Amino acid sequence: MNTTGAFRERLREAWIELRENPGRSFLQALGVMLGVASVLGGFSISDSQRRQTERIFARVGGIDKLNVFPTDVVYQGTPSALQSANRGLRLEDALEGGQVPSAKAVNATSVLRQARARVRSEFADQERDVNGIGADYAAMNGYEIEYGRDFSSHDFASGAPVAVLGSEAASVFFPTGDIVGKPLRIGDVPVTVIGVFRDKNFRFREGQRNIFAWRNRIVAVPSGLVAARMEGDNYHRLDRVTFRIPDLKAAADFSKELSGLVTANHRLQQDYRLDDVAKRLERQMSQGDVYNIIFMLSGVLALIGGGMVNVNVQLASLKERVREVGVKMAIGAPGREIFKSFMTEAILLTLLGSAAGYVIGIAFSWVITKSIGIPLSLAPLSFLWATLMAAVFGFLFALYPAAKASRQSPMEALRYE
Amino acid sequence: MKIIETRGLTKVYGSNGNAVHALRGIDLTVERGEFAALIGPSGSGKSTLMAILGCLDVPTGGTYTLDGRQIERLSGADLAAIRNEKVGFVFQQYNLLPKATILRNVELPMLYAGVPRRERRQRALELLEKVGIPDKANTLPGALSGGQRQRVAIARALANRPALLLADEPTGALDSKTGQEVLALFRELHAQGNTVLLVTHDPTIAAMAGRRVELYDGLLVQERQEQAA
Repeated sequence: MNTTGAFRERLREAWIELRENPGRSFLQALGVMLGVASVLGGFSISDSQRRQTERIFARVGGIDKLNVFPTDVVYQGTPSALQSANRGLRLEDALEGGQVPSAKAVNATSVLRQARARVRSEFADQERDVNGIGADYAAMNGYEIEYGRDFSSHDFASGAPVAVLGSEAASVFFPTGDIVGKPLRIGDVPVTVIGVFRDKNFRFREGQRNIFAWRNRIVAVPSGLVAARMEGDNYHRLDRVTFRIPDLKAAADFSKELSGLVTANHRLQQDYRLDDVAKRLERQMSQGDVYNIIFMLSGVLALIGGGMVNVNVQLASLKERVREVGVKMAIGAPGREIFKSFMTEAILLTLLGSAAGYVIGIAFSWVITKSIGIPLSLAPLSFLWATLMAAVFGFLFALYPAAKASRQSPMEALRYE
Repeated sequence: MKIIETRGLTKVYGSNGNAVHALRGIDLTVERGEFAALIGPSGSGKSTLMAILGCLDVPTGGTYTLDGRQIERLSGADLAAIRNEKVGFVFQQYNLLPKATILRNVELPMLYAGVPRRERRQRALELLEKVGIPDKANTLPGALSGGQRQRVAIARALANRPALLLADEPTGALDSKTGQEVLALFRELHAQGNTVLLVTHDPTIAAMAGRRVELYDGLLVQERQEQAA
């Protein structure tokens, strides 16, 4: 008999044995199935949740942005000449900040100067927030031009009197839909509408409100226009400067260098505030830890559950099995044949159990993710873990009884009570 | 030709302090084609001798030759092969696999001997016919009467055409009528040329055998050659 033939024979024997003992086999496969299903389910659900969180993060703003805000400086007593000569956060800070050595990690910079103003068209007249923006603002905040055109670099440089509206603002001020090229009055400044941003829409779950509705209310003009024409500010002061740095570690370096630069520019006045990158890094790490703990916990629970089922099955069928082994040995089965048949049965049960476990695990996580309204994502890693778990259950748990059964003497086994 | 030949066979259980000497030097020879009965009261060492002769256990001392093979120094795997090839066991409690069909129970020794599937099946069916239960192949042992189960056990014992048929109280769990039928089957098998060694404590059963070997306190006390009844 060749080896493959022998293996096929053994597999057939194992299958017969399993069919002869359906209860025992089912319970044993149940252990594997529970392990696989709970590992796969646990991983898939938390993975889906994490993916969703990442998606929301990416849409809402992400953690790759370093913001600089101006702050009020509280003086004790009369401010010194140095203090009163300070001009706050300016466009210069943003431009120079983009040139420090560690700024090569920065892939976009946006500036914002806000103002409150009356906005008038031939259809509407409302008090609105007006966003004076810089070059990368629209891209960094996920705005795309739906029709018309975006600001040109010339518009930004000269503070040209042009405006781009969000979808809500467009429908309020120009309900007829004829927008591009129309005049709009912002405060005292007449501007021309050159484009409209695409509607921004994002809901955590289906049927919930659009959390980006406010973004569609934007009335955007070049920041220079707000500073110079609307507020008479020659220093081009800003309300926010944002640097986008995909690499969080590089962000920490850049943050240090930027802080030195801005402090020097501001004559050593702490009149600005920088996002704390180190803290953010720490928070992200700990968030990863939380997920890892969830994974491990679900894995351990699965192990305990499956292991208990397995041990109980083994205990319950020990007497029966020992006698069986005794009979088989008495009629000439060598120990290693007993061992191999135990292991073959275990492999077969592991295969069957883990197949069922995959189905149940996927179904389970599908139901859960569906019920909390997030898309199901199945990570290849979770399959790897589940398979590993199945192998542990099927194999290691079978190894002990197999080794024990195959080593006993036939006399002891036959007399076993 | 000798099937069984033992010289000074001893078996000691336990260690120095509380050692139990189950066998204390057995010299026994059984020729091919003999029908021998091994009798003796409980505690006389019958079961121990039976286990050693059946290669289920190894002696502490002495030599044992089964069908030309030296047994006393063999390892577990070799003993298993000898049991498979040369010994057919019939137990008092049948020792059938309760969840396997009758056919499979009979096929099992041939499976371990590596007999191809089709041949196994065919021989198992022949054997079931030979022991008088040809129509029970696909039932489970639980559905059979004691006598029928013992017939299955005998069919299984015969599967690999063993040199020696060893029966340990084969009628112990049967009523006297069924017991007689099973004994008749043994005699028939003996008539066909099988070597049979029957362990019993019942003198009337032993009387049916051609030869009676009596064991007492780990020693052969009496060996009597009788005319087969």
